[in-house]
Amino acid sequence: MSRVAVVAANVVSGLGESLDATWDGLLRGKTAIAPLARFDCSGYLTDLAACVAGLGRQPGASRLEPLLALLLDGFPRVPVDSRLLTATTKGPIDLLEDQVRGGNGAIGPLLLENFSRQIAGRLGLADPGMNVNAACASSTIALARGGALIAAGRAETVLVVCADLVSEFVFSGFSALQGLSTTPCRPFDSERSGLSLGEGGAALLLMSEERVRRDGREVLAWLLGWGVANDANHITAPARDGCGLLAAIRAALGRAGLSTGAVAAISAHGTGTLYNDAMEMTAFDQLFGPRQLPVNSIKGAIGHTLGAAGGIEAAIACRALAQKRLPPTVGCRCPDPAAAGRILASVQDLDGEVLLSTNSGFGGINAALLLGAGGGQ
Amino acid sequence: MKAHILGLGWVTPGGWGRGSSDALFGLGGGVLPQLTRRDLFADPYPRFGRLDPFSRLGLSAIALALDDAGMASWQEKRPIGLVADSRYGCLATDFDYFRALLPEEGGLASPNLFAYTLPNTFLGEAAIRFGLTGPGFVLSSGEGSPFAALEVALELLCDGDTPAVVAGFCELPPFPAGDRSEPGGAGAAFLALAPAREDSAAGPRLTFDGSWRVNDYQVRDWPGMIAACRQPAGSES
Repeated sequence: MSRVAVVAANVVSGLGESLDATWDGLLRGKTAIAPLARFDCSGYLTDLAACVAGLGRQPGASRLEPLLALLLDGFPRVPVDSRLLTATTKGPIDLLEDQVRGGNGAIGPLLLENFSRQIAGRLGLADPGMNVNAACASSTIALARGGALIAAGRAETVLVVCADLVSEFVFSGFSALQGLSTTPCRPFDSERSGLSLGEGGAALLLMSEERVRRDGREVLAWLLGWGVANDANHITAPARDGCGLLAAIRAALGRAGLSTGAVAAISAHGTGTLYNDAMEMTAFDQLFGPRQLPVNSIKGAIGHTLGAAGGIEAAIACRALAQKRLPPTVGCRCPDPAAAGRILASVQDLDGEVLLSTNSGFGGINAALLLGAGGGQ
Repeated sequence: MKAHILGLGWVTPGGWGRGSSDALFGLGGGVLPQLTRRDLFADPYPRFGRLDPFSRLGLSAIALALDDAGMASWQEKRPIGLVADSRYGCLATDFDYFRALLPEEGGLASPNLFAYTLPNTFLGEAAIRFGLTGPGFVLSSGEGSPFAALEVALELLCDGDTPAVVAGFCELPPFPAGDRSEPGGAGAAFLALAPAREDSAAGPRLTFDGSWRVNDYQVRDWPGMIAACRQPAGSES
């Protein structure tokens, strides 16, 4: 089995157009959640979301295109033999909205495979790519699949790209589900009342250890383990006992050959909904016992970026491991008793080499990644 | 990579069925059969009638494959995986959902329908119905390989991620604007797969080594896959 390295990462979020800008904003405790001007929110629970500033549209084109340009134009060189895995839940959903409003349009541009094709074409990759869709765990699972391809020797290098937009389509749905917070979301706070949507994307280049050596790349972090599991419980609500998340984390630990004691911190899904955050703490308590393991969520800063969330959080995790700092949980002013002592609204020191990142989504899906500090080739 | 095919099920305009039944498999144009709960489930299952058409199609084919494999009944949840390939995903549902937001359509979002505007929701329904807790996701691979989901399923089995996988495709293209005829290419088919064993009684053997074979039959498309799976054991020699 080959070790899997993360050799390049970039993020675009409401906090900025790069990983550096997003990281800087996170450490400063900033939030990008603000009133929306993109569509009329008067019929919805709130008008708050975290949009990428200045993300305009060309006529007939999706906002995904400028988002991808921001994400990939300055990205380090991607080998043309890289496999490509993408993750988006709704892709160019703004084009579908146009078609419904206009009463006409072609189906082709709406297909999610075009998201992969567009990226492959932009980077000149031989592999046309494949999109992974598993709700809000989509990019976490894309990273897991990328890791599996490399670990088994089926690929030497895999590019994972994820993105999702703030759209009226998704906004209206979460509003109808009563899932949106009327204030910027407050993950793990005792007064949390729902999520805030966000948009953004991430790109992560994975490589086998041998290829890293051959190409002379720097290792940002190691993808040590991954796991995916379903609650088999409810379509839109998590299992209260966290059974699926527990199974996913245990699978990740098993693949990494690590015990829970190796984990130094957790980047949680932390949407700010009552049930998600409670489920996660239940699962973490069961696995890690009385350890006061630092936990954070960045969704109070950049919103819930849906299928892109796991990829963005993994890229942030690489930076956290490098700098030994866990960004604050913006919005958490009075931690839920279950999270007290582990969730802080300030930066936490990271005392260790391994970080666990988790995501869960509609359909009962859960996914976990274990990332290790870079170097050590 | 190899696996044993434990069961298969399909719902197509040409017919619906499981395993070695005489039912036809046909992905040409035509009307998809309207399966009812009684066609698939012996016990009451009120959710089935409330599913969106895409989810009902995919869940039906998965139910048939699991039934054919003798895996439909369960007492405890099982770490079985679910992988589907879909070009169109839930676009038909997406259109239905967003049309309802137009002022002339009432302008109200349906929270129930919104939950089905993700391509993987039907896998969640199958997971709940059959107690399947393994990895589950939907791929959009385009026109390259008709068996992208099967390839990923074999990888999951080879890597020891799951003891069995139900994998296949589910397609329900949305209606073109103003056209209410049945769109071409609609249908779903799934195979229940387990790691290959030296036990011919376990079912037909699926092999991928750059090309796809069922036992010794090379297969290039889904009609060929279903036909090869239904050949009696040993008939290829």
